Amino acid sequence: MNSIRINVNKQMDGYSFSITPSIREFIKKLFPNSHPANNIFVGYDTKSDFAIYAGRLENYIYPALLGVEDEMDLYKLDEIQFIDTQTGKVLYKLTPRDEKV
Amino acid sequence: MSEFLILGWNVAIPEVDIGNDIFVVQDNNGTLRRVQVKTSKSTGRKLNFSAQFSISLKNLRNISNILLHYVFIARHNDNWSKPIIIRQDYLLEHFENEAGSEANGNITFYFSYFDEKVKCSGQDFTKFVRNFTDFPKIEH
Repeated sequence: MNSIRINVNKQMDGYSFSITPSIREFIKKLFPNSHPANNIFVGYDTKSDFAIYAGRLENYIYPALLGVEDEMDLYKLDEIQFIDTQTGKVLYKLTPRDEKV
Repeated sequence: MSEFLILGWNVAIPEVDIGNDIFVVQDNNGTLRRVQVKTSKSTGRKLNFSAQFSISLKNLRNISNILLHYVFIARHNDNWSKPIIIRQDYLLEHFENEAGSEANGNITFYFSYFDEKVKCSGQDFTKFVRNFTDFPKIEH
């Protein structure tokens, strides 16, 4: 099962989205041409503006964080879960095949 | 601090203690690293020694855009051990894989040093000994 967990940390000025080292390794093995990042930071104002003009930010964060360009590669992934780092709660989840990337 | 200076990085100590012991920076391009140093007295055994370190769970989970590097150094037989340098995301993953024990919002890591190896809760931390990967030497 190719499920991915993305950690979300709420800070004073925005959100930090990150993936663990093992997930980065997993993505690199699954998609050798990928360039997964350590973390992506988005300020609150940016997130708010994004929601108004482009839709749910998370749908765009995970391809950038995982460093996977090919849409067909993203469809090989099962569920993407966004987890609050401090509480462990699932904030949002999606399945790439069901979402328009 | 001296280890970072020898590698050509600059070092600054914050005025107020908020969880970062030192800021380490590349002067030429402004690359910044946050570092927290933890020291401990060793408990000697016959051929090896151990040391325990306590860190805040909340701080470990607080992943920000500049990741924190933890440096664990033990005092053993009037000498400092080789530092274990591990970035926050790696340490968090080890903790989530059951390294260390949590109590009252703190995590205690119990490191066993044997020959050139270091283990914690059965997990191998040897690759983090003197791990200056994120602090490459800078030629001035």
